Amino acid sequence: MNAITKLFVALAAVSYLVLIAGPASAGLTAKANHDHIKIDFFYHGSTVSVSGVSDAGTDLIIKIASPEGHETLKEKGKVGGFLWMNVATLKLENVPNLYSIHSTKKIEEILDPQEMDKYVIGYPALGRHAEMSPIKDEADKARWFSEFIKYKENSKLYATSSGKIDLKKGEAGTQPYYILTEWPYQAPPGDYLVTVYAVKDGKVIEQAESKVLVEQVGIVDTLSNMAKKNGALYGFISIISALGAGFGVGLIFRKGGGAH
Amino acid sequence: MYLYLPVALTSINIIIPIGLGLAVGLLSGLFGVGGGFLMTPLLIMFGIPSTVAAATDSNQIVAASTSGTYAHWRVGNVDFKMGLYLLIGGFAGGLLGVQAIKVLKATGNADFAIKMTYVLLLGTVGTYMFFESLSSMRKKKVEEEARPEKESGFAKLLARLPLQTHFAKSGVTHSLLLPVIFGGFVGVLGAIMGVGGGFLMVPIMVYILRMPMHVVVGTSLFQILFNCIEVTFLQAYTNHSVDFVLAVLLLLGSTVGAQVGAVFGRKLKGEQLKVILAGIVLAVTVKIIFDLTLSPSLLLAQAGGH
Repeated sequence: MNAITKLFVALAAVSYLVLIAGPASAGLTAKANHDHIKIDFFYHGSTVSVSGVSDAGTDLIIKIASPEGHETLKEKGKVGGFLWMNVATLKLENVPNLYSIHSTKKIEEILDPQEMDKYVIGYPALGRHAEMSPIKDEADKARWFSEFIKYKENSKLYATSSGKIDLKKGEAGTQPYYILTEWPYQAPPGDYLVTVYAVKDGKVIEQAESKVLVEQVGIVDTLSNMAKKNGALYGFISIISALGAGFGVGLIFRKGGGAH
Repeated sequence: MYLYLPVALTSINIIIPIGLGLAVGLLSGLFGVGGGFLMTPLLIMFGIPSTVAAATDSNQIVAASTSGTYAHWRVGNVDFKMGLYLLIGGFAGGLLGVQAIKVLKATGNADFAIKMTYVLLLGTVGTYMFFESLSSMRKKKVEEEARPEKESGFAKLLARLPLQTHFAKSGVTHSLLLPVIFGGFVGVLGAIMGVGGGFLMVPIMVYILRMPMHVVVGTSLFQILFNCIEVTFLQAYTNHSVDFVLAVLLLLGSTVGAQVGAVFGRKLKGEQLKVILAGIVLAVTVKIIFDLTLSPSLLLAQAGGH
């Protein structure tokens, strides 16, 4: 190892230390509290709050999303001019199942379009990022993507808000922030990523991440595993229970029914 | 109170499935239909994925039809022999129907043809039943049961078929082939349209097999019970789409509803039952027509299911 290499290693080590410790005055932090959501028998959604500290004077955008995947949906259209039917199958790629964006101000007012596309922030950027088929042209894509957003918002999996992030004045040029978001019960078990972007002059200057883990526990977990992995036994138990319940209620009614 | 459904992956207020179960179970005990036509779309409306809604409903019908069959059997209103032949036909028809779907799908635009056939069939059956039972109610008042059964050409043709046998419970004599063929016909349609077919089976038993209305209801439930056992198992085994928790909530209502329906049905005359059923069939037809013609609020829907 020559002297120059040694110097580089030393420099790299120092800069690494500086990075993880962060500059004393600034630095964006993010923490999702209640980051481990347990789906039990009585689960009806939850709340997740995201909080941390950013530099004073920066705007913030918080994105909560599941990993990107694909969706297959049925398109409804008119047949013969007046009958609504499923006419085609729409396939989407690179779309998260859950996607919510919260910002201090409207995104268009604080972020450049190139930056939106780069970090996939906002519905229009997500629309450009998504691959869809079959589509005829750009207008067709825009139309079906907005239908897709409607469908997702209807099941509470997509959401946007602006101005709901609570900003305070902190010490030494810092700005603590806090937002409480509703976690929809429609969101399936899985890993979700919370990304906080600090924005200044139309650019993302810093970002920080946190995770939310959603998991089934107890009876819910047992039943859903059995349904997936042991379908025959699960079906058998379902049928026997139904037969037993039907017969049992029949017997109760005979006893209560009197002189029939 | 809310409960989480482990297969549907959603949460539901338990009052909804119990109430739905009660209402649909009542129809089941009264008329001998499974009620899937009503239950499946309502479950979808309350946020249950369509595949899970259809599969779980069939599990629930197992309970409701056991309860209903038991109630009707106690008063001697189940023709097991007839039910057995209908089942044999229905089973074969179901297998045939699954193949027919594949052929239809390959031709494209099958959805349109299927929906139209369904609407026309329901509309025709409902209208015929409505007017027939109304007129027979009037006739009865005038002639007081003195109804000389007119032998139509169709009835003579049926009487000439081979393998004639007597169905004691129903008090009719038919060829064995008759329930097998018509059971098969309903089985094919059921598989293609994704419905149990009680709405078609009941009128066939009343008008073609000429069974008394009260025996029709009990026998139809018996037949539905076995169909739904088969469907539940296949859905659980191949599609993993039966939600046990949802099924239990539904059957809490439907088993009780079926008993109440059976007791209530005994107090009504056959013609009265037919008129009400005809009214419901027509209402369902109108509802499907509305669904087809009104602009939907969402143009995208989950794939899979019916």
